[in-house]
Amino acid sequence: MRQVYLVIASIFTTLSIVFAFLPLGTLGVIPIGIAILFGILALKKSDAKQGKLVKVLLLFAILSLVFVIGKEVFTKDEVVVDKQFDTKKVESKKEAKKDLEELEDLE
Amino acid sequence: MRKLFLFVSLIWMLNFSYSQIKPNEKLVYAASYNMSGLMTHIAQVKMETEMMETSKKSFLHLSCEAATFSKWDSFFKIRDLYESYVDPKTLRPSLYKRSINEGGYTKTEKYIFKPDGKTVQSTSKKRNKPETKKTFTVGNSTQDIVSILYKLRTIDFQNYKNGQTKSFVIVFDEKEIPVVIKFMGNETVAAGNLGTKNCYKISIAAKTDALKGKDKNLIWLTADAKKIPTLIKFSIPVGTGQLTLSNATGI
Repeated sequence: MRQVYLVIASIFTTLSIVFAFLPLGTLGVIPIGIAILFGILALKKSDAKQGKLVKVLLLFAILSLVFVIGKEVFTKDEVVVDKQFDTKKVESKKEAKKDLEELEDLE
Repeated sequence: MRKLFLFVSLIWMLNFSYSQIKPNEKLVYAASYNMSGLMTHIAQVKMETEMMETSKKSFLHLSCEAATFSKWDSFFKIRDLYESYVDPKTLRPSLYKRSINEGGYTKTEKYIFKPDGKTVQSTSKKRNKPETKKTFTVGNSTQDIVSILYKLRTIDFQNYKNGQTKSFVIVFDEKEIPVVIKFMGNETVAAGNLGTKNCYKISIAAKTDALKGKDKNLIWLTADAKKIPTLIKFSIPVGTGQLTLSNATGI
């Protein structure tokens, strides 16, 4: 059983690190939670000599958690200037004015 | 003195020739989506009003745009624009436009509300598909999805009792959809730069698959004459989210 817990903890710790670096926000908490849960279970089934790898996995999972929370707290939410979108808005207004004037001619 | 009276009368008339919705109003919201139980800020939503003058008339241009925050752009970029050109007094739409770009999926829609008050001419274009045109009939009080948000702000909720409802009809995806709003009392809500405000809590129910749950689509409007939307909670088939007011100017 320890092996199963260890494999699951390893997979989800890897996912935790990947999710932490991707712009997935708090979604990264899901693999981190699973990694920590199975890490603890694996640690409980391990003897003193076997626990080292599990502790390393747990350390990485906890560091990922700190990174995800840090990113959420300290990263400023900004919208970049999108010239293409701005141009689209201007063109939309011009087109709207033309449509509205055509509509007025029908009245 | 006569000039002063005339000036005051003109100002008064100008104020009353518009609904509560004034031009040059800008409301900025942070849109959050529920991810793994936590609300994550994903986009900025801006609602703006401005006047548009044509050769014969004046229209109030209501726009609502959504843009993902830069950290999300490389992952799932959203640039949505919803616009409505309405009569400044009645908020009845003459033209509705929708242009969405969500993670590469694009769709544009245009509804022209004909002067007969019964007909809408729509033009729709989806990515990699030909443009389609359709003409369909609507009721003379049918709103579009943008103008309904502003129309809501013209209702006097002061004398509403808990559970009291009001019905509307909107046109969305070339279909008329009945919408029922329900007054759910007053609550205090954080309203960005406006501080904390006493608000009317309104539930919105629509006969559409786009919205899910009973009383899970809610809007809080400041309990004053301006009725600024301070918080909007929504429940859609793929999850839940909310829009929180961060900045309001020109109100």
